[in-house]
Amino acid sequence: MEEGCLAGSEGSWVLEDWWLEQRDEIAVASKGREGGGPPAVNSLPVLGAIGGTKLKPPQNVEVDIIDDTFTLRWARSKEPAGNVTVSADYLIPGIVDNWTKLPGCQHVTSATCDFSSLKMNVYEEIKLRIRAEEGNNTSPWHELDTFIPFQQARIGPPKVHLEAEDKAIAINISPPGAEDSVMWQQENPQYSVIIWRNMSGAQPWNETHHSRFPRIKIHKLMPETTYCVRVKARLLLHPNPAEFSPVHCVNTTAPLHPVPTPRLALATTPSSSIVENELPAPENIQVILENDTYVLKWDYTHDNVTFEAQWLKSYLKRMPGSESEKWVQVQGCERAPVARCAPPPDMFRKRFYVRVRASRGNSSSPWSREEEFDTRRRVVIPPLVVALKPLSSHSLQVSVGFQDQTELQHYPLTYEVTFWENASNAERKTFVEQRADFTVLSLKPRTVYCADAQALLEDRPRSQRSNVACATTEAGGAPGAPLAAGVSAALTVLLVLCAALALGKLVHYVFFPAGKPPATIDEYFPEEPMKNLLLSTSVERTEECFIIENVDAVSAKEVNRLDEDHKTYTSQASQDSGNYSIEDESGESGGSQAGEELGQRGAGAGARSAVGFA
Amino acid sequence: MTNRCTLQLTVLLCLTGAALSVNYGKLRFKLRSSNSACQTLLWQLITSPQHCLDDRMDFQIPRQVEQPQQFQKEEAMVVMYEMLQQIHTIFRRSFSNAGWNETIVEKLLEELDDQMDCLETALEEIKQEGKFPWENRTALRLKTYYLGILQYLKAKFYGRCAWTVVQVEIFRNVSFLNGLIGALQD
Repeated sequence: MEEGCLAGSEGSWVLEDWWLEQRDEIAVASKGREGGGPPAVNSLPVLGAIGGTKLKPPQNVEVDIIDDTFTLRWARSKEPAGNVTVSADYLIPGIVDNWTKLPGCQHVTSATCDFSSLKMNVYEEIKLRIRAEEGNNTSPWHELDTFIPFQQARIGPPKVHLEAEDKAIAINISPPGAEDSVMWQQENPQYSVIIWRNMSGAQPWNETHHSRFPRIKIHKLMPETTYCVRVKARLLLHPNPAEFSPVHCVNTTAPLHPVPTPRLALATTPSSSIVENELPAPENIQVILENDTYVLKWDYTHDNVTFEAQWLKSYLKRMPGSESEKWVQVQGCERAPVARCAPPPDMFRKRFYVRVRASRGNSSSPWSREEEFDTRRRVVIPPLVVALKPLSSHSLQVSVGFQDQTELQHYPLTYEVTFWENASNAERKTFVEQRADFTVLSLKPRTVYCADAQALLEDRPRSQRSNVACATTEAGGAPGAPLAAGVSAALTVLLVLCAALALGKLVHYVFFPAGKPPATIDEYFPEEPMKNLLLSTSVERTEECFIIENVDAVSAKEVNRLDEDHKTYTSQASQDSGNYSIEDESGESGGSQAGEELGQRGAGAGARSAVGFA
Repeated sequence: MTNRCTLQLTVLLCLTGAALSVNYGKLRFKLRSSNSACQTLLWQLITSPQHCLDDRMDFQIPRQVEQPQQFQKEEAMVVMYEMLQQIHTIFRRSFSNAGWNETIVEKLLEELDDQMDCLETALEEIKQEGKFPWENRTALRLKTYYLGILQYLKAKFYGRCAWTVVQVEIFRNVSFLNGLIGALQD
């Protein structure tokens, strides 16, 4: 029997479809019996079910989570009003494995219940089930899909506080949720701000700003104007939907002008009231490197003021709450008489923000825009190492790199290479390349060329000039000169082998004869010529080998010299090629050790480009 | 001198208006040098861990973090950012702890902030490219892991040994971060 049996239950009796079906069955059963007697007890529906109700579970059930508020909602029943209530259970796989009553959602008469009091890990899966109840009569359980509260939650509106200046509004944002929020306690929300001008008759204007930090200052606004903002939070890693804060509005103050400034008065709105002796904020704050010293400078067009600079370490921007007390005076810039000062070097570490204001007497300007600096962007690039390597009689390969291993090849470095012929009054040519290896063409043979280089990277100071490297182009000649040299070398080797073989035979013949002719040879071979033939043949061979040996000895020496100097073989060519020394140590060493001297190559290592020099 | 030059050449790559796609080589370089600094600072911060053996706790870091080779580079970035922001949150609470070298903690927070700043820009870029791994269960498991650390500190009333145990755990975290940096291959 279904749970819809309501035998003996109080309350109204509701005829459900179930009952109508049972009534029809009873009628059929009666017809089937002979004599039409009363149906057997067992064939009747359980009497208790007669007039009982079958409750349906709540429909359209949904979980609504916003910040730390957990709400279960369902559609109101269309049934006649009664004592129908709703209850829910929860289950957390692996932690609470049995269905347990959901606190705040037991015997609820409304269409929602709040179960925020349940202490749970919002990052773990949870499963809910819900049913309707009327006394002892309950509907079947309706199970909801498993969900993770953190993923389900909407981000509530953040709290907003506005501070207005004449041309700027500072927006201080408190993160969504309560101070003891569980849902977002481990998050660093970012914020989107929509600001618009609330001015009737004026051209509509609005802007959207995104900030990673809970404090935003919007500049370049109009004085004495009403601005309104709405703010919402967002998470970088999670796509949780968020709600906007209520609209907050504020009026910017009257324009600030030093007195007297009649020309500036024209820029004010007709209804403005110029506040005398008020100073505008400095602008265009910069950090520049002067003679290896960092200098802070800014723009200010008015005289008779002193300046005060403050700085803030970047990581403090992430800290919730007011950061105003964390700004620190810049030493050496407490009362600067001019629009620049030199802070201590230890300030320039990692990233930081700087702000400046002007003062005259007891009045001070608003703080300038907060500028972020990362002085590592301005660090001097270490000097390059340059190497030259001759490729042919008309070209040299130029390679640049750093002494120590770095990963600078990932940076968009540009190399300025100065190249010149090593002669007096030689023209210097500059190549600007983004590749660390390139070829210079159209050079003169057997000529010494030199180069040095500098690296550039965005807004950084240039690197110091590198070493000067020199190398000599190879000797000129027929295009087949290398081939001829190779053939000549091969022939020379053959001649050497032949000479060695002949020499060996001679030695063997002279010192290790095969057999002494018998004394009676004269008897058998009295004729002199035959004997002489035997002897004279050896002599002749010796003479021939001697001649060959002399020629090959000269050739071998030539070959050895060729191997050392990378030159072509013909001596005539070596005599005609010019006056530059091939034993130039610097050139030779620079060229031959190109691969060894360089550490990590710069951008484009392995990519070649050819540059013509002529 | 070499290390000084290398560190000096650590350039923030996350400039507004930077290239449309992430330069993973630059990102690796930046993160590695900053992570190395974090290890050094944590090592300086941990004092007398041998006196806190009884307070040791197995916080059960998600196994996936110990095996970074399984991650795609986008997932690795999400996991790294989650770890960095959680470590940042934990150490932000340490300022009130008496006896700590606040200079070291400050430098540590600077390094963490640096890495987060870099990753934030890179993550925004991969969002633009439509490659953001929104369904990342490891990030949720990490939140549970770090919640356990926070609850441990609270239960131990932020005592000195509890902090020491946590510092040692974070020191392990930083070595796992190194492995995740290696997953950022082009």
